[in-house]
Amino acid sequence: MDESQLIARVRAGDSAAERALYDTHVDRVYRLAFRLAGDDALAQDFTQETFIRAFDRLGSFRGDAAFSTWLHTITTTVVLNGLRKVKRFRQRETDIDDAHEIGSVHHEAEPDLKARLKQAIDALPEGYRTVLLMHDVEGYTHEEIGAALGVETGTSKAQLSRARGKLRVALSDFAGEWVR
Amino acid sequence: MMDQHEDPKFEQWLKGAAKSYHSPRATPREEIWKRIEDARRSKHVIELRPWMRWVVAAAAVLVIGIGIGRWTAHQPSAARVTPVAATEADSTQPDVVYQVAATQYLSRAEAFLTGFRADAQGDAHSARFASQARDLLTTTQLMLDSPAAKDPRMRSLLEDLELVLVQISQLGTAQDRHDADLITQGMNQSNVLPKLRSAIPAGPVPVRTEGAL
Repeated sequence: MDESQLIARVRAGDSAAERALYDTHVDRVYRLAFRLAGDDALAQDFTQETFIRAFDRLGSFRGDAAFSTWLHTITTTVVLNGLRKVKRFRQRETDIDDAHEIGSVHHEAEPDLKARLKQAIDALPEGYRTVLLMHDVEGYTHEEIGAALGVETGTSKAQLSRARGKLRVALSDFAGEWVR
Repeated sequence: MMDQHEDPKFEQWLKGAAKSYHSPRATPREEIWKRIEDARRSKHVIELRPWMRWVVAAAAVLVIGIGIGRWTAHQPSAARVTPVAATEADSTQPDVVYQVAATQYLSRAEAFLTGFRADAQGDAHSARFASQARDLLTTTQLMLDSPAAKDPRMRSLLEDLELVLVQISQLGTAQDRHDADLITQGMNQSNVLPKLRSAIPAGPVPVRTEGAL
């Protein structure tokens, strides 16, 4: 059975078809959610919400683009909106922690390359980070990224280039790792 | 010509190295599927079925009609006021339906957060609260997508609620006492409970929906 038939059966209320559609796409949705969120509980929440929205709105899927493209548009919307809310909440917690830690001294060990890479990716602007993770880590094409984020393909390429440029500068201490 | 940012060796290295960033475990397919099923089941309970909407709408119109009747009975220029009031009543019918559902949901949320805050002072049962928060979170997200969230105050309240529920839903064990305290502090700072209480009408739901949200 091809995907369009599967979608037709989901629209007709076939729960087995819903599960089959879920099984086909859940890995990629969860992986992207996890890459962006970095937290299993959040990734599960976002994956859950993505599929609930997708099933609820399947009637509005016209089939102009691939189902996976449509689904990844929902995924990125759910994840990025969710992360913004969590960030707002965590900022409140950080403010409270900062108030408690006034006067304390931190001695941080020199981070290794892996930790520095994580810090550098975390520090990227949201758009750069999203494109970098989708393209370089999860293997999405610029066309898929453009469709999912609602931007031009050229914008996706430009953001990726800038993201890589920022990372190269941030990790310049470790240039020996790639200049071999 | 090569862009100033381009460095093929760095890009090659980055593609490999970045795989370690937020590296996901195997997808917990069954766990997520069960949550989806549970959420959709509870949504069906919360969301009024089409025939129920008509019943609720009819009841709401009836109650509003009685209210208008009583109100106009005390007005000296009732004849002039009634047509305007009737028009308003007609235009509020769809909103009333959603506001009934919203009010039921807000009452549940208020009861839950009150219980959470009370237990956070003592011996918190984090896992139980986390499970309940997840249920409410799903409903909150559905409410955010519903016409009830068109009201800016309602939307703001739902967004605050969502934030609190996300945090509670991540509590796992009794060792999360410190996190529970932080959530309670956050709730106090954002005045979620007072806002919730002021959004819930004190009387029978359909009667006071106009000023409720």
